[in-house]
Amino acid sequence: MIEISNLSFSYGAKRVLENISLKVSEGNIYGLLGENGVGKTTLLTLLCGLKKPESGTITVDGRNPFDREPSLLADQFYLPDEVIPVHARAIDFAKEHGVFWPHFDLEKFRTILSEFEVEPEQRMDAMSAGQLKKAWVSFALACNAKYYYLDEPTNGLDIPSKAQFRKAVTKYTSEDSALIISTHQVRDLENIIDPIIILDNRAVLVNASVQEITDKLFFDYGSELNPGALYLEQTPGGCIQVYPNTSGEESKVNVEAFFNAVHAHKDLVRSMFNQQ
Amino acid sequence: MNETFNFNRFWTYFKYDLKQMWRNHSKSAILIGGAGIIFYVLWILGSLVFTQSWTAPPIAARFVVLLFAFLVLELYQTRTYGYLTEKKAGSSWLMIPASGTEKCLSMVLMTILVIPALFFAVYFLLDGFLSLVDPTYGKAMATSFFSVYSDFVNALGSFNEGSPITFTPASLVFPAIVSTFCNFLYFLLCGICFKKNKIVGAIAILFGISTLMSLLGGLIIPHLDLEQIFSNLDAIDEQTAARWLAGIMNAFVAFTCLLTIGLGWGVWRRIKTLQH
Repeated sequence: MIEISNLSFSYGAKRVLENISLKVSEGNIYGLLGENGVGKTTLLTLLCGLKKPESGTITVDGRNPFDREPSLLADQFYLPDEVIPVHARAIDFAKEHGVFWPHFDLEKFRTILSEFEVEPEQRMDAMSAGQLKKAWVSFALACNAKYYYLDEPTNGLDIPSKAQFRKAVTKYTSEDSALIISTHQVRDLENIIDPIIILDNRAVLVNASVQEITDKLFFDYGSELNPGALYLEQTPGGCIQVYPNTSGEESKVNVEAFFNAVHAHKDLVRSMFNQQ
Repeated sequence: MNETFNFNRFWTYFKYDLKQMWRNHSKSAILIGGAGIIFYVLWILGSLVFTQSWTAPPIAARFVVLLFAFLVLELYQTRTYGYLTEKKAGSSWLMIPASGTEKCLSMVLMTILVIPALFFAVYFLLDGFLSLVDPTYGKAMATSFFSVYSDFVNALGSFNEGSPITFTPASLVFPAIVSTFCNFLYFLLCGICFKKNKIVGAIAILFGISTLMSLLGGLIIPHLDLEQIFSNLDAIDEQTAARWLAGIMNAFVAFTCLLTIGLGWGVWRRIKTLQH
């Protein structure tokens, strides 16, 4: 369990996160959404211990990530947006680097890599950006960590690889893992992220499961316009509308429309989801 | 699990670090170690062009080149772990599940022992090879060092006979080794502290310290009665002078040891507090 309590962080005079409190539990794939510069990467780097909180606390299973204790580092994996092109073949890198994660599985690495259609014998510093990202994603998943912090993992991936990524994440992470995936490309991960966390101007705007979202909001894909819609987007076959779910009907969440609805009606949505 | 130091984990990390070091820095260390042979080739070419004779460089010139190459090696230590200050590579390194103490110890061993050992091995092997194949080259430097050292030990024995204080070879070699370690650690620390211009920064600090010391000297010396001090020095007997010498040497060794420990602590502290 990850517990964030009154967390604040600044870059010099610029406050990025202010008084954030949040709980992250195992068995979920969290989607961390937000506009550019709201602090998604900062939050991930604070969670994995690359940064020290200015104030407030973060505990991961009762441990402070900034202490960077080996046992906690072995329980987690942080995949940055831009990964390093290691001067080695992918398989050698995995063998050498994987020894530090007690549950690392080399066969799993080979399997995921082959599903991504990347050769294990290929040198990582000769890979394209997409191939390199796939090699790192394969390595991350083969580590069998408990906590994953993935920063824009689908950036640089081609369309088939994005589908492979979704498949790999759901297939190769255990049920007691917690993944926090920061992304701009919500459509890439729409079907796998639940709950959804939306950051906005230093604070958490929404932290809700898909069930909670559909309980409170209705996503209408029909063509009849609803005057109470919080968000309306014309599509070639009709439109997507988001409005308060007064009838209790089930609907399929469109994460992009949800994100836009939240941004257009911050206070209303915050009150709906009981955010402070 | 011991979070501060575990021998098995350290050994795993040290082997990993050794492979990374070989992969990333062996070429540079070999190139610096090959300075002697590069100098030899240039000298022979110059000799052929200007004197039309095949004449190898004299031992004194070869010794100067060795000192110069060693100085370059010291400066190079700013680069061996300089990647720690880069966001991508530094983040990846910090997330390796080993403790800061283990990483620090491995880094220090690599800096003060492994890289210099590789340098000297390459340097003396090439030098020995040249002494075998070129009759004009003279003795190998390693052999010369042994004969110089044995002459030094003999001279020290004669000195000790008439001296109230006995100096052992170890008591004179030890300060030289510690101050070399001190230099290596200084450049290592600068390399992991400065984000850019690591060598320039390291030299600038040394320049700043020497300027400060000169200024302090300039402020203090005019207020001293130098005539009185020198007449007192003239009056002291041999035994007192030897005791003073031993005292100065002990103070130097103690200061250098403390400085080396301090620099080692600085490296450890930097690793513990590094943020990305």
